[in-house]
Amino acid sequence: MMTTINAYLAAKGIYMLTLVLLALGVAGIIVCNNYMKKLICMNVMQVAVIFFFLCLGQKYPATIPVALDSAVKASEYVNPLPHGLMLTAIVVSLGTTGVGLSLLLRIREKYGTIEEDDLIRREELMNRKAKNGGNRK
Amino acid sequence: MTENIPVLIILLPLCSALLCLALTALGRNLGIIVVKLSCLASFVLSCFQLHMVVTGGTIHYAIGNYAPPFGIELVIDSLNAVLLVCFSLIGFLTMIFAENFADKKRPMLVGGACAETALLITGLLGMTSTGDVFNLYVFLEITSLSAYCLISLGGSRGVVSAFRYMLVGTIAATLYLLGIGVLYSVTGTLNMGDMREILSAGGNERAMMTAMCFLVPAFGIKMALFPFHGWQPSAYTHAEPGSRPLITGVMGKVPAIAMFRFIFCIYGTEFGFVRSFLLIIGVFSVSGMLYGSLMAMGQTDIRKVLAYSSVAQIGYISLGFAIGTPVALAGAFLHMMGHAFMKGGLFFCTGAIRYKFGTTDINEFGRIYKKMPLTCGLLTIAALSMIGIPPTAGFFSKWYLALGAAQEHEWIYIAVLVISSLLNAVYFFRLIEKVFIRHSSELKDRWQSEALELPVSIIIPIVVCFAAILGIGLFNVKLVDILLMTLEGVGL
Amino acid sequence: MRKTITVILLIIAVFVPFATSDILPVIGDPQSAPNTHVSDYYIEHAIEECNSPNMVTAVIVDYRAFDTMFETTVMFLAGLSVVIILANRPKKRIPAFSSLKRLKTADGRPVYRTINKDVMISVIEPLILIYALYVLFHGEVSLGGGFQAGALIGMTYLLDIMVVKRQRPIFRLSKAGSAALAGIGPLIYALTGIVTILGGGLYLEYNKFPLSVHQAELHSIGITAVEIGVTIGVAGTIITILNALMERTYFDDDND
Repeated sequence: MMTTINAYLAAKGIYMLTLVLLALGVAGIIVCNNYMKKLICMNVMQVAVIFFFLCLGQKYPATIPVALDSAVKASEYVNPLPHGLMLTAIVVSLGTTGVGLSLLLRIREKYGTIEEDDLIRREELMNRKAKNGGNRK
Repeated sequence: MTENIPVLIILLPLCSALLCLALTALGRNLGIIVVKLSCLASFVLSCFQLHMVVTGGTIHYAIGNYAPPFGIELVIDSLNAVLLVCFSLIGFLTMIFAENFADKKRPMLVGGACAETALLITGLLGMTSTGDVFNLYVFLEITSLSAYCLISLGGSRGVVSAFRYMLVGTIAATLYLLGIGVLYSVTGTLNMGDMREILSAGGNERAMMTAMCFLVPAFGIKMALFPFHGWQPSAYTHAEPGSRPLITGVMGKVPAIAMFRFIFCIYGTEFGFVRSFLLIIGVFSVSGMLYGSLMAMGQTDIRKVLAYSSVAQIGYISLGFAIGTPVALAGAFLHMMGHAFMKGGLFFCTGAIRYKFGTTDINEFGRIYKKMPLTCGLLTIAALSMIGIPPTAGFFSKWYLALGAAQEHEWIYIAVLVISSLLNAVYFFRLIEKVFIRHSSELKDRWQSEALELPVSIIIPIVVCFAAILGIGLFNVKLVDILLMTLEGVGL
Repeated sequence: MRKTITVILLIIAVFVPFATSDILPVIGDPQSAPNTHVSDYYIEHAIEECNSPNMVTAVIVDYRAFDTMFETTVMFLAGLSVVIILANRPKKRIPAFSSLKRLKTADGRPVYRTINKDVMISVIEPLILIYALYVLFHGEVSLGGGFQAGALIGMTYLLDIMVVKRQRPIFRLSKAGSAALAGIGPLIYALTGIVTILGGGLYLEYNKFPLSVHQAELHSIGITAVEIGVTIGVAGTIITILNALMERTYFDDDND
């Protein structure tokens, strides 16, 4: 029994961890009320997918993908493709986080809060004010 | 040189966008002129490319001259070629139009917004023409990032909607990445054609289903399909006025093309489970068509009316996918083109009215046609096309959709199509009534001294959209023939 | 409502791993699908085709160079967006940094006395720059590349701004200038591809550079040109974001 579980965890366990991480990120985005926490959860989610891709590129008796001599055997080096792809995904996640943080600064300056329910209340207040102003005009 | 056209179409807006800021620092209008010229060149090249595809068949362009599964490939079939022409045309028109809404005192902002719009065009054109699943992700992110920024430029409510869109859009991008990760884990390739060959050998059905569970919500969020549309109305309403036609007209369609590629080109309809997914998409689109039309009836801000009507119109496109016969797919793509011009055109009109009178409230539009006959002409023709009155684009796309549904004996789809069109008629006739019949309210012209109704740079997009809506309607047989060149092979 | 969604998600979080784990390949299996089909080709042909022992570099700037071009563009886009969102209203400028009084301790000395400015500028910064150049030009041979080099150069600028007084900067880029620089980097990348088109090849086909050297050398030249573009783009983006944060203004642009 234990050996089965051990073998399963050795073969597939890491996928479960990354997928749990992903689910935690998505759950955080939905449940958290604070926009900053949502942004952090977004990052957690992206990191989970990056881990998932890197798991796919792993080989056991293999080293980093920098050729040591001119005769190269494919089984001696880990798969370089997921690393290359995830470099792109990391840069994209960095860009998204940067834009998100600057949007958050603007929201904080305008509404004075980054809590979602507060923000919705203030938006409604502003809408009502704008409507009344329009009627007076 | 001619073999490089597919990549040049993407590169021209990209290079001009990258140069834009440096040129704006040199001379105030230099950057904008270069961006406009490059968008025009991109449009001309895509017309030429359409001619090449129609006469010579599908183009495969291997970047770096590496054979397809190893390098990145651009695939231009007749479908892509037609859509590229439409999208680059709307991109060019938006570039002309946006100039009027820029604040001339802030060169950094003018150049920056111009560069962002050009990058949005780059991303959309790239997503349409790529043949590599990861490359699609990169273009998707370019599109989304520039869209977040352009939406946030529309005031502080725009900032809030941009932030919400960003959270949802990132979930979509992550789900997409996870989906292609699952597909990569069973095929070991990222090229669409190669993936198709490996998957069609069979044996991977469960992995394909898992991947599809991630991909359908991902594209659904990006194209604002019904249950995933939450971000869309406020984002479309508060986006920056200059680039709004591009965001509303094209941005929702391009993920739909990607969805089509995954369902019909990579998976293929020979798998049994694809039909169940098509049924789910059908349910989503039917409920979206009804929901969007009903919500649009209750709004008074014209931008909100049009935003909710987009939810319904996206439903028509995905309904075409759900039916799945070549004729219905052709109807969906015809609607994609037609709706790009209709919704783009309606937002050009909204922008023009806002430019002249500074209002977007329907109730203040009383007898506006006397002051702006041309704008109201386009408003009317686009509204009639949305409803589906014969010589316009909207009628023929709905006709092909209904024809496809009738061939498959899907009577519920036809019923919903008719009901949704009637609901469209209710709120668009209300709009037309406000414009033509209702008594005028005192609208103040913000720019008194114009000889023409509007500046030339607003008139050109309006006239072109007017011509395009009628043109797609009148030449629909020719267009459907071109679309069917590709669709015959992939439909049900 | 929220709690229901959370419960559903947690159920999915428990079930999805069990449902999907048998279709995914075993960790570290050299014979699994993602490790055989395309990746073997990359590993075995990277040296002879791209003249680059570092296979990740070969993949990102040669086989899949088109992706990396847009990746650099994403960097530019992020920097530009941050500037536009935070600091595009020069009229209502409220400088965030210059109005700060210098912090002082009880006996009147500035608190950052512990950092020796002269050592920082004259010793550490040149070393960082040399290291950045090393990382840039060795990217194709060993670990490193354009992104890291760009980050190092950007950090040098940041250090310079932090340590030197505002009035006497050694090297200072304006907001517009740095954003333009961030755009020029990806442009160098894109133009590298256009040069190969002019040489008669396809886009980013390094073999067709209009130069008369050995084919392997042509690949090295192409990779280096591209990496220089990436470096400039990343450094420009970091400086742009720094400028956006320093010239941040409080403004309200509601116009409807």
